Amino acid sequence: MEETRIVIVDDSSFAITLIREIFETNGFKVVGQASSLEEVKEIVKSTKPNLVTMDMTLPGTDGFECTRAVHEIDKNIRVIVVSSMMDEELIKEAQENNVSAYVQKPVDADELITAVKRVMASEELYKFLSEEYFGVFKEALMDGMNRMTKTLVTYTEEYTTNKEYESQGMTIIIGIIGKFSGRMLLDLSIKTAEDIAAAIFKREPKNDDETMAALGEFSNIVSGNACSILNRKNKALGLRVAPPSILHGDNVLIAASCFNTTTAVSSTSYGKLLLNVGFQRSEEKWT
Amino acid sequence: MDIKYIDPFIQSFSEVMPQLGFCNIQKGDLREKGQELTCSGVVIVVGMVGAIKGNVVYRIGFDTAKTIASTMMMGAPVDELDEMSQSALAELCNMLTASAATYFYNAGINIEISTPTLFHGPNISVSMSSRSVLCVQLNADDNSVEINIAFEE
Repeated sequence: MEETRIVIVDDSSFAITLIREIFETNGFKVVGQASSLEEVKEIVKSTKPNLVTMDMTLPGTDGFECTRAVHEIDKNIRVIVVSSMMDEELIKEAQENNVSAYVQKPVDADELITAVKRVMASEELYKFLSEEYFGVFKEALMDGMNRMTKTLVTYTEEYTTNKEYESQGMTIIIGIIGKFSGRMLLDLSIKTAEDIAAAIFKREPKNDDETMAALGEFSNIVSGNACSILNRKNKALGLRVAPPSILHGDNVLIAASCFNTTTAVSSTSYGKLLLNVGFQRSEEKWT
Repeated sequence: MDIKYIDPFIQSFSEVMPQLGFCNIQKGDLREKGQELTCSGVVIVVGMVGAIKGNVVYRIGFDTAKTIASTMMMGAPVDELDEMSQSALAELCNMLTASAATYFYNAGINIEISTPTLFHGPNISVSMSSRSVLCVQLNADDNSVEINIAFEE
């Protein structure tokens, strides 16, 4: 696991000393401290921590403004609020400001360390998924195509984007649920869908329903296999797939998602097939 | 399909929409539909797994979608369904489904939801994941949102 580098933000030197000692006793590295918005920006830029503990009451600013400043520098830095104040309103605002956990003062060492470990484990797991998922999905698509139609898939292009794009005619969407939620999309022309269905049935599909049933099942197998492989690599992911929904029509636009997705354009024996997959960093489950 | 599966969505709509600036919430038609839906406007798909497994498809007409997005963005004018308003609508459906999931949980049915995906176009056909689909029309200040639910128990 990557080393956890911590910056402590608090206006009380007593609190900083106390929190620093808790971290150092437990083997964590404190790389800096700050007591104002300016110091937060300066220290976070210069020390590049992956975790910040944040007091709520700070001179001339507050913990949420500082949290936003931290995320402007690097949105991947996790922030844990450590404050004497804790009520429903503050917790709601903390969640809206992408705070990962909330620990009330006086700080209990076990509680703080547990919060840090939980947040960093989730971070590590997301990193693992981000690095692994697309290769696994590409492999599952190749394997699915090979097993169901005995043909090959060749990838011609790959890009990460969150821009709107126009469907080629048919889109199969599969929601993915687990430690991180996301989706898999397959997009292809109606003709390509019909030809794939014909190859699966080993005859022409009788009607559109058969074509869609074949493509739905094909997508279900690809996504299910990919998620199983990812779960085997790390069972904490607990990924499961929802049943496929299939959209078709002229000029159907697929909107950008609020998280980055990766797209691979592939060439198959039946035409162009687009694979698009993405996962959202989970919202922390607050206890 | 058991009609009890629609209640959490009605409760969720009645709870979430007022928080976004809509006052008058009304329940419209409730009916069972076939697997195929056609739509002109915005379609948002959210997957569900758990005690029940399926999809929720939200259908909103173009003009209504713009009005809802504008209201959600504190009345900022929405002439085109741009990225910001699409994002607001996707977030709306995420909130509605997440809140419905909480109502399901309270009723002893544990489900989890996927991220929403938004599509739009003048002529979209949707083939739902199960043969029977429950559809409820809900209105917020005369803005009509159609919720289609396809579940396998």
